[in-house]
Amino acid sequence: MTKAKRLILLGGIIIFALLIILWRPTILIYGIQRAGLYAAIALPMALVLGIVHIVNLAHGELLMIGAYLTYFVCSTFGMDPLVAMLPVSAVMFLLGMVVYKVTIKHTLKAPELNQLILTFGLAMVFGQSVNLIATSQPRTLSVDYVSTSLTFGKLTFGVYDFIFPVAALIILGGLLFFLRKTRVGKAAQAVGQNPKGAEIVGIDVDKIYLIIFSLSTALVGIMGSLYLTKQSIFPLVGGPYTMKSFALVAMAGIGNLPGVLFASLILGVAETFLLSFKGYGGWSNIVFFAFIIIVILIRSHRGKQI
Amino acid sequence: MELSECAVIHLERWINSMSNLEIRNLTKRFAGLVAVNNVDLSFGGDEIVGIIGPNGAGKTTLINLVSGIFYPTSGQILMDGVDITTMPAHKRTQLGVGRTFQLIHPLEDLSTIENIMIGFIFSQGFSKKVAKEKSEILCKSLDLERWNRSVSQLTILEIKKMEIAQALATNPGVLFLDEVMAGLNSDELKELIGLIKKLAKEKTIAIGIVEHVMGVIKELADRVVVLENGAILADGSFKAVMKNPDVIAAYLGGGNYA
Amino acid sequence: MKILTRIILPAIVVLLSITFPLFAGPYQQSIAKTIIIYMILALSWNILLKTGQISFGLAGFFGIGAYASVLLSLRLGIPPLLTIIVGGIITAILAAAMGMIILRLRAMYFAITTLALGEIFRVIIHNLPNFAGGAHGLILSSVIFDGNGYFTYWLFLAGAFFSIGLSYFFDKSKFHLALTTIRDNEITAKVRGIDIFKYLLIVFTITAGMQGLAGGLYSQSFGFVTPESSFSGDFILLPIAMALLGGIYTTAGPVVGAIVLGVISEYLKLYIPYGHLVVYGLIIVIVILFMPNGIVGMCSNTFRKVDQFNE
Repeated sequence: MTKAKRLILLGGIIIFALLIILWRPTILIYGIQRAGLYAAIALPMALVLGIVHIVNLAHGELLMIGAYLTYFVCSTFGMDPLVAMLPVSAVMFLLGMVVYKVTIKHTLKAPELNQLILTFGLAMVFGQSVNLIATSQPRTLSVDYVSTSLTFGKLTFGVYDFIFPVAALIILGGLLFFLRKTRVGKAAQAVGQNPKGAEIVGIDVDKIYLIIFSLSTALVGIMGSLYLTKQSIFPLVGGPYTMKSFALVAMAGIGNLPGVLFASLILGVAETFLLSFKGYGGWSNIVFFAFIIIVILIRSHRGKQI
Repeated sequence: MELSECAVIHLERWINSMSNLEIRNLTKRFAGLVAVNNVDLSFGGDEIVGIIGPNGAGKTTLINLVSGIFYPTSGQILMDGVDITTMPAHKRTQLGVGRTFQLIHPLEDLSTIENIMIGFIFSQGFSKKVAKEKSEILCKSLDLERWNRSVSQLTILEIKKMEIAQALATNPGVLFLDEVMAGLNSDELKELIGLIKKLAKEKTIAIGIVEHVMGVIKELADRVVVLENGAILADGSFKAVMKNPDVIAAYLGGGNYA
Repeated sequence: MKILTRIILPAIVVLLSITFPLFAGPYQQSIAKTIIIYMILALSWNILLKTGQISFGLAGFFGIGAYASVLLSLRLGIPPLLTIIVGGIITAILAAAMGMIILRLRAMYFAITTLALGEIFRVIIHNLPNFAGGAHGLILSSVIFDGNGYFTYWLFLAGAFFSIGLSYFFDKSKFHLALTTIRDNEITAKVRGIDIFKYLLIVFTITAGMQGLAGGLYSQSFGFVTPESSFSGDFILLPIAMALLGGIYTTAGPVVGAIVLGVISEYLKLYIPYGHLVVYGLIIVIVILFMPNGIVGMCSNTFRKVDQFNE
């Protein structure tokens, strides 16, 4: 995008943001909080899909598993979910390793078709297994600090939810540092750009895939813990997050991690915008799809085929 | 050759009038790299034009631009007077632009004969039955006998013949052969050179042949075009081009080919 | 061997399937009808798969067809049989319109976009309480043929034969060459004269029509539609598992897979009443990893080895 176009876009966004602040500031606040949630969940997919090109349709189900694990740890040991994040993330990391070694590894040399169908099957297995074990009854974990709010004059809003954008920023920062400054991270980028070349140069490609996939699973698991603090969970809660994460990664562009944050801002604010109108709230669930369509149309207009 | 097959070939030759390809000021930029630089080239009829140049000179990119794999940054491509510069690839094929690929990827889910039938069916509009008959005839004329085998069983020469047949089945007026001689031994080279000569005469196809094997160019080409860094360095007879000091320099002081 | 598999076996199967209700009770008939619904979906998924693209939009188009059929009955009083056909056509037209846009995508982009389709349609229907009954759905005053088991079964069977016939057509006509080439290498396809977009659009439209048809059959025979049941993920999961198990890229595969898995699932429901859906997911995973050509693929490999041995 040229500099002029970028400035115009930025200007438009600022004007839009100002309008919202003047009219209904809660839209911006809740929009940012929601965007944070989406971004934090989408970033692990951006890592796995954008950097090493593994498509995982079970992404949302991994979120769900992380949440359920946290639930059971907390209700059994009386732990606080934010503390339980630690052991849960370790378990999720191990789960990622197992899933990679047993299934995904074998589809890497096969056509991409196989990975899509395989991970779809995994998503079903995960979802239905949890349904079997924990029944479809929604589970909630009530934590007191979740309902803290702040008041500025006429404006009152929940403050806890800012943990999501904060988490997203931390994850983004952590991932960018990991990818650019650590050996493993740089190796991962190499593998993503040219797996055969990386192998020739001496990189243990299989180990890289293993680490990246497990890392992504652990991160999503952590987000599951966070998610549990605010929302009740049920076995099929993950599905929409797979699709929305994918939409965000696609909008931002493969490999563009910071872009995921901007994309999620637009999605979060747009959804909150719709939710603020009584009777139109139900339509907020398809905003992301409208985005996908718009992205497709713009990209194909420029003569590229995705 | 049977009488009916003879008649078919004569009929086809009558229908195939001369084609003409015009490339005007064609440029292709890939984010900073100029792969094809202001190329002007025209040929047609039953000319065989050799296209040579060092690696990375833009020969395959040029073919990709003409056949519709990429769209150019600027310039024009005219096939028989029709502007095909931004036409989708399949339409260009139907208008008579044909090509083979340097890295041959035969369609492994189809048999050899089916690989060839595709051009007859989708570029020329024949039915499966007619396409099969025509494909068999085409195979015979190329001495490709094992056409009912799966592609994985073919020898390298047979694969090359299949690739050429696949392109011929689309009824090209202009055919680009991209390094089709690579990997063949001297006997196989001789056979393929002979087949291409026969082809050009019988079917009135203009052939643009990209090659590194100079002996092939010397034998086949009426005219030679030299590309370097995406631009045309020389355009003339084989002898004239080989004596051109710029051409020699481009090949890093290469030897005497005449 | 060829005479057995090509003529005698299919003839026996066809005869058995037509006379089925004469010797099978209502329970078996309902299993058969369910199998047929999933078989149609599995066949349609398989046809698009031949182009190399995976669609997860089965549930979406199925639900659209179901709703279209019910709405045509309720709002316009059109006879049920006709609504099924028209419902299928409406679904096909909708798919064509969507296809114009989303068929510019490939591979995972396309697949995931189609995954969203079911969700999108469900949400839209959910938010149209006046037109489409919203969350409560719609109920028909009577089911098709007034619930006559024989006629309903034969209608479903007709749907199955139609779908099998369509799939067979795509196997034997020039479509087979076009789709296989597109799947194998799009550049080769383009360069040999195949209009990729046209073929993708045709296949996408027709297969969506098949899915809508199945939806109409389903809704007319059960007499109701709701957003949750008509767009259920089961209509994606089971057909894919069946097509994979039976063998993709063939017509026999989804048919075999639907029958095998349909029968097995009845036993599964007895022994693992809440877990049988896990099994379908597991089947998908196992088939992809260990036997990507499914049952039919393994059988034809065996036959081919026998033939080569006899040559």
